[in-house]
Amino acid sequence: MSAKNTWKLHRWSTILLLPLVVYLFLKIIHLSTLSYQSILSEFSSLWGVGFILIFTVLGLIHMNTGVHEILDDYVHSDVAKKVLNAVISIFFLLILIFVCLSLLLMFMG
Amino acid sequence: MVQFNLPDNSKLTDGDYYKSEKDNENIKKFKIYRWSPDDEKNPRMDTYEVDLDDCGPMVLDAVMKIKSEIDTSLTFRRSCREGICGSCAMNIDGTNTLACTKAISDVKGDVKIYPLPHMPVIKDLVTNLKTLYKQLKSIKPWLINKKQSADDTENIQSRDDREKLDGLYECILCACCSTSCPSYWWNSDKYLGPAVLLQSYRWLQDSRDEERKERLKELDDTFKVYRCHTIMNCTQACPKGLNPAKAIAGIKQMIAQQ
Repeated sequence: MSAKNTWKLHRWSTILLLPLVVYLFLKIIHLSTLSYQSILSEFSSLWGVGFILIFTVLGLIHMNTGVHEILDDYVHSDVAKKVLNAVISIFFLLILIFVCLSLLLMFMG
Repeated sequence: MVQFNLPDNSKLTDGDYYKSEKDNENIKKFKIYRWSPDDEKNPRMDTYEVDLDDCGPMVLDAVMKIKSEIDTSLTFRRSCREGICGSCAMNIDGTNTLACTKAISDVKGDVKIYPLPHMPVIKDLVTNLKTLYKQLKSIKPWLINKKQSADDTENIQSRDDREKLDGLYECILCACCSTSCPSYWWNSDKYLGPAVLLQSYRWLQDSRDEERKERLKELDDTFKVYRCHTIMNCTQACPKGLNPAKAIAGIKQMIAQQ
């Protein structure tokens, strides 16, 4: 991806994440008043699953571009950069798989 | 990897103390970084007592007085002594600025003077600006207008277009901004830095220039522009009151709109 598009992606993901973070924050406050069963039904609803998926994907895109920025800043060795990039990509992929599996389990009850 | 600790041969030591012969109350201490490539000694901080009653008001006046009356081996660049040439850029009292426009009275306590940070030192307060000049050359800091060079007519610019260059053309390339930028410290070989990017923006904004598209294409690189993280040290350091951070934001906007 070109430098321009990476920069745009980082900015757009920030803008899109802002309302989602506010919503999540309010939701967490609201959750403290609910019972365990209500919380489960909230998150296993189509909206709940959709929200978590969108939030996770956007968050991971934002984190990925952010971490790569940091690597570009501090890591000057090409080999070290490639290794770290691979490790980080695997880490993000694992998070995504873990979130998807959790949602699937919750959705299926 | 970025090096966070100073190498052993760069660690500062205490240097010589030059006491003033006069017993005056208006004495100010100037602590100045000294390093010479001629010996293998570590850099040191020499202290000079300067009688302010017998000295000009600016830091450059004091540094020149030290060189001419106390220690002739002190090495520094200077030329216009009125903030136009940018030669006397150095780190005074923790800030990159021009010694000729920095008043001694603005510094509380001892005046500590270092060369511009994170630049290779040639001797004492003189730094090697070769990389910066090479980067400046890479952005082609001149007007590219093939039509204009073909005929001898005037190349007229509207008042509005001319106004767009205000706050850009005044840059004297003293390098105070670039050497105050942590991103430039870390990646000075690849990141162009605020001084060069301000110059680049000056030509991008010029309505008479015909190479805007090519110039922007050249800048669309992970390192050349996008190492700027809006830290804003450049804007704070600029002794001419310019805003390189805004210029870099302008470049990013132009690239994004392309």
